[in-house]
Amino acid sequence: MAFFLQFQFKALAYALLLWLTLSSNASATEIAAAPTKEWTSASLRNALNHLPTGDAKRGQLVHEKMFCSSCHGPIGVAPTQNWPHLAGQKAAYVAKLMLDYQDKRMTSNKGAELMHDIAVMMTPQQISDVAEFYAQQQAALDDGTPRPAADLNVTQLVRKGDPKRLITPCASCHGTRGQGGKLEAPALAGQNPLYFVRSMLDYQNGHRTNDVAKGMRTFAKNLTRSEIEALATYYADLPKKR
Amino acid sequence: MRIETQGTRRNWLAQQLALATMATLPSMAFAQDKAHVVIIGGGVGGATAAKYLKLFNPQLRVTVIEKNPVYIRPYGSSEVLNQHAKFEDLFVTYDKLKNDHGIEFIFDTVTGMDPKLQQVFTLGKQKIRYDKLIVSPGIQLNYAAYEGYNENIARTSVPSGWIPGDQTVLLAKQLQTMRQGGTFVLAAPPNPYRCPPGPYERAALMTEWFSKHNPTAKVIIVDPKDSFVTDETMMLGWNRLYNFNLPDDYVKKMSAMVEIKQHAKTSMLSWVRGKDGGRTLKIDAKRMRIETEGESIKADVINVIPPMKAGLVASTLGLTDSTGYCPVQRINFASSKVPHTYVIGDASIADAMPKSGFSANTQAKVVARAIVEELAGRTAPEPLWENTCYALAGKDYGLFVADVFKIQADGKIGRINGKSRYLPLDASPVQIKLGARYQQAWLRTFTADCFA
Amino acid sequence: MHITLNSSLGLQRSASRIQGLAAAGMALGLWLAGFSLAFAQLPPASTAKKTNATPAATSPLLAATMAHSCAACHGTLGHLSDESFAPLAGMPSEQFVRTMKDFREGRRPATLMGLVAMGFSDTDLKGMGDFFEAQKSLKPTSVKGK
Repeated sequence: MAFFLQFQFKALAYALLLWLTLSSNASATEIAAAPTKEWTSASLRNALNHLPTGDAKRGQLVHEKMFCSSCHGPIGVAPTQNWPHLAGQKAAYVAKLMLDYQDKRMTSNKGAELMHDIAVMMTPQQISDVAEFYAQQQAALDDGTPRPAADLNVTQLVRKGDPKRLITPCASCHGTRGQGGKLEAPALAGQNPLYFVRSMLDYQNGHRTNDVAKGMRTFAKNLTRSEIEALATYYADLPKKR
Repeated sequence: MRIETQGTRRNWLAQQLALATMATLPSMAFAQDKAHVVIIGGGVGGATAAKYLKLFNPQLRVTVIEKNPVYIRPYGSSEVLNQHAKFEDLFVTYDKLKNDHGIEFIFDTVTGMDPKLQQVFTLGKQKIRYDKLIVSPGIQLNYAAYEGYNENIARTSVPSGWIPGDQTVLLAKQLQTMRQGGTFVLAAPPNPYRCPPGPYERAALMTEWFSKHNPTAKVIIVDPKDSFVTDETMMLGWNRLYNFNLPDDYVKKMSAMVEIKQHAKTSMLSWVRGKDGGRTLKIDAKRMRIETEGESIKADVINVIPPMKAGLVASTLGLTDSTGYCPVQRINFASSKVPHTYVIGDASIADAMPKSGFSANTQAKVVARAIVEELAGRTAPEPLWENTCYALAGKDYGLFVADVFKIQADGKIGRINGKSRYLPLDASPVQIKLGARYQQAWLRTFTADCFA
Repeated sequence: MHITLNSSLGLQRSASRIQGLAAAGMALGLWLAGFSLAFAQLPPASTAKKTNATPAATSPLLAATMAHSCAACHGTLGHLSDESFAPLAGMPSEQFVRTMKDFREGRRPATLMGLVAMGFSDTDLKGMGDFFEAQKSLKPTSVKGK
């Protein structure tokens, strides 16, 4: 009984949070939408904690009903070159992105605009469920996307970063196996390399602003295009290497 | 999905090729890279043909003769009426075709041709010689089909706007400033016409707009027809969005597959079918009345989409038959009337293919391929066409038509992708919303494929 | 069947448990409807007149014509950068064929791709897949959002 009440409270609190953020987008034609506040570590942790527990079986139904599979593939490996794979992605990260799309914190391109229209049709439960479903899928061993020409060895960058450019090691947040790390840092292993490149460019150019405390924007800023492409290939091929 | 056996296909193919050679008389040998293809009309058909000719053979000389220096796209033009787009959004320049694809443009009007000398003549007194001629003139509106209606009235008080331009701007202004509780009548055309779901999409978008800005307005579609392409899915959208009650015969055939609500409150939108007296007879622009077989309606805004036929230049050049459209050989859309000449798009008679931008786009690609092969001394290959496009019942309600076409055993163009053609009646909310978003995306990608 | 756009606002305010059940029930119903839709999309056995010989490969020219018919949504030569549709240029042929078959046989939900895919035989798809694989895919760029 106590658990139910606690759950109710959490759901209501989240409902309030979501209602407040959604209401600013409710009638964009009538009022200018208030600019969505960027995440802080605390606000992100709060939002994720208020999501209900997800169930992968229910998540599979969401994945089919909400047409996720139409673009992201039957098991979350997108058979296209411009969209991300979701298979094996951290549940917290998928949930975060859905909130980002809902709140228009992520508006970097046409795909993001489309995701907003779908995200606003989803309940917090559906978000949690589908996130859990993807977390339990196997990351792509070889997604078939052509790799960008990568003639740089980026192992050093991944493991040690570059202190001269104030770039921390990718692995410190994204995991030694690219499996993702604390809170919002996503799994990168097996990710679509062309999507990876575009995302890094979006961070670099300030088109993508949904990172906590401008973290990714700072790291991406001083990377060269060659390094970004080499990292994309490195991570795309990582599941096969293991 | 082939339905013919090898034997009948061979006979049919031979027959088609025999007929098609009328347009492909190799009267003299010439190097393919010196060949000049002239295209009359810079709309969807003409632009796509020009671009793909150059794609298939960059050595070809390709010239488009078009009377307007900027293209105003008709597809999606109804979105100017409900303020979802600005009139300027409809403008498409020819810059990319000129600069990126090396296509020459002559902005002029064609007034005649000499099929023996293979020359076309223009208002600006030019004589342009062609090895192959593609005519893609679109449609012209037969205003005079209704008593009391003409082009001048369309320009000033009872707009059509089925070919976009000033009439679109006028209609938008009339609709957006219509008095509260006013009546908007849309006169739908008889078959065949450009863009089958278009009139109904226009009425739907205005109903949606009026629901917000003029909630006591009335929207009446008067129609000579009893049905229309996408009718079931479109009206299901109206049922869900605008309290529209479907006619009994539709309810009977659709109820088994989907719930159709019976609304107690009358919808602002109504559809008067041909069998219920919906055929337009007369327009009285002065008194703002439209007279149909069934009644005389006093309206605040009248939008007439009259009967149409092939664009004027098609008949000027002797390409049309008694239907007002242009007969062609299916395999390469070569004119059945004039040699070395091909007709594509709305102006052509293409059997089961609807008159749409998408059809014109795939016809243009088939013609481009056929011409490149014929210029190289080979025969036109087996063609395939498509018509897959989205329409809106509301800004968030998308539906579609999906057709894939080939030449059938009977020699005519027919659908080959199964019985289903439309959005399923049991489509989910996401599918419907996605359809609306894809419709917007399609406006962009389609324009790029034709003009960029 | 009713449309509930922006359902997130309404459903949030009801009790979570009922909400969960309703969502699951609706999802299950629609999922089952999806199954019947998939079966409805299977081509009826009578339309195809099968010859005894194995189907000849689709000619490259026809395969190219088929591929070009995709361009109105998927970009000229399958080139598409930032869009709601998938680019096809550079897609491995086997991937293209598998995806189109998934659409054609109803295993992948779509708006109209299922109906489009019904227009193409297995050899057609192989020819189109080969065509697209041979096209060079565009390099990713960063596009300014709204």
